[in-house]
Amino acid sequence: MTVQTMIMLVAKSFPMTLAIFVLTLLGSLPLGLLVYFGRASRFKPLSKIVRGYISIMRGTPLILQLMVVFYAPSLLLHINVPNNWRFAAVIIAFIINYAAYFCEIYRGGIESMPVGQYEAAAVLGYTKAQTFIRIILPQVIKRVLPSVTNEVITLVKDTSLASIIGTVEMFTRAKQIAVAPHSPGMLTFVVAAVFYYIFNYVMAFIMERIEKKLSYYR
Amino acid sequence: MKKIIAIALAAVMILGLAACGSKPAAPAAAKQKLIVGFDAEFPPFGFIAEDGSYDGFDLAMAAKVCEKLGWDFEAVPIDWNSKDAELSAGNINCIWNGFTYTGRENDYTWSDPYVDNSIVMVVKADSGIKSFADLAGKTVMAQAGSSAIDGLAENAELSASLKKVIELADYNTGFMELKQGTVDAVAADLGVATYQIASNSGEYVILDEPVSTEQYAVGFLKGNTELRDAVNAALLELAADGTMLTVAQDYVDDGLVIESLCLIK
Repeated sequence: MTVQTMIMLVAKSFPMTLAIFVLTLLGSLPLGLLVYFGRASRFKPLSKIVRGYISIMRGTPLILQLMVVFYAPSLLLHINVPNNWRFAAVIIAFIINYAAYFCEIYRGGIESMPVGQYEAAAVLGYTKAQTFIRIILPQVIKRVLPSVTNEVITLVKDTSLASIIGTVEMFTRAKQIAVAPHSPGMLTFVVAAVFYYIFNYVMAFIMERIEKKLSYYR
Repeated sequence: MKKIIAIALAAVMILGLAACGSKPAAPAAAKQKLIVGFDAEFPPFGFIAEDGSYDGFDLAMAAKVCEKLGWDFEAVPIDWNSKDAELSAGNINCIWNGFTYTGRENDYTWSDPYVDNSIVMVVKADSGIKSFADLAGKTVMAQAGSSAIDGLAENAELSASLKKVIELADYNTGFMELKQGTVDAVAADLGVATYQIASNSGEYVILDEPVSTEQYAVGFLKGNTELRDAVNAALLELAADGTMLTVAQDYVDDGLVIESLCLIK
């Protein structure tokens, strides 16, 4: 196997890593906000349940959660899972895990808003919903962006955990290539590292641009 | 700037969606399908080929069996530690990948054994380790969940003399550790050992004494005799008509030891 073939093979597994990454963000960023509303709810049973969910998601390893989501339906509940359940399970596990973290990040942002903001909005005749969407949320987004960037970058690297349930993303593929007959061996991992690094570099760059864009009061 | 970001995000999403859309559609009719679970890091039985497809002696034989029976064939790369869960969950319907039959006779429904394998000890050529006695106080690596672990456990005298047995997920990392000296020996299947020695010329040697001997067979979910009978009959025919030998010859370069194929002796 030539080095060029090896790089091509690593590159071809990148869309899987990318798919896990993009779908997880698309699902968990909004879900995190929803979870926050649940957690902040005055309806005690709901907020208790949501707290329990966050506690479990943050208190157990993601790799274990992946296994539970993938195997529990068929092995515990005896449900016939669809053919593409492997991929679906990865996405579901990642989304519910990351939503818990995003919820806490949002909470930090929302609870840091001075009460004066709410009072001023009330004086101006804003409803509760209007206050949240027009006054609070735009400021919260600005505040939480650095923490969100942290999670986004961690997510890129976490995608490799999906290998535990047989998902062939970039790291798993690199491991396969490294042991294939007549392969360039260890060099494969260097190439995979470069791919991860470039992707994270681009993500960090994009997030920084968004931050700059949003700092319109400076 | 906003536009650039929007375009970049759109491109990312399209790529992501394209990656999801590439799954093949489910077959229309309920054609019998053999879904083989295998470890894609286990040459010569299962590995990734230059074109990105999965290759290996066991997969090639499984494909031949399906061809003979007129079945669909699918090879699913699994995490070897999760093989039982994958099988019971029905994500795969057989494990065919240098799968050790010896010692697991009652855990699965088995085909006839097709490989006589031994677990051997691989050491660095310049390590001065010549026999099991020299391994006293040394660290040995073996693949987690593999029969090498069972082999070491059986060989009580040897394992008692060792300092430690390190279990890793795959043999590649084991041989990396052997190379850098963080383990002193690797207990591996003969095929894996032969392949590693062939691809690292002169660096490693196999100790004469085997840790244990065992056989490979195809494992099915316990009780699934119907599937086993069909596959086994086809496998025996392929061994008898010479197909197995022809297929095997393609994998000699990758470390397959033809003399170990017990169905065509």
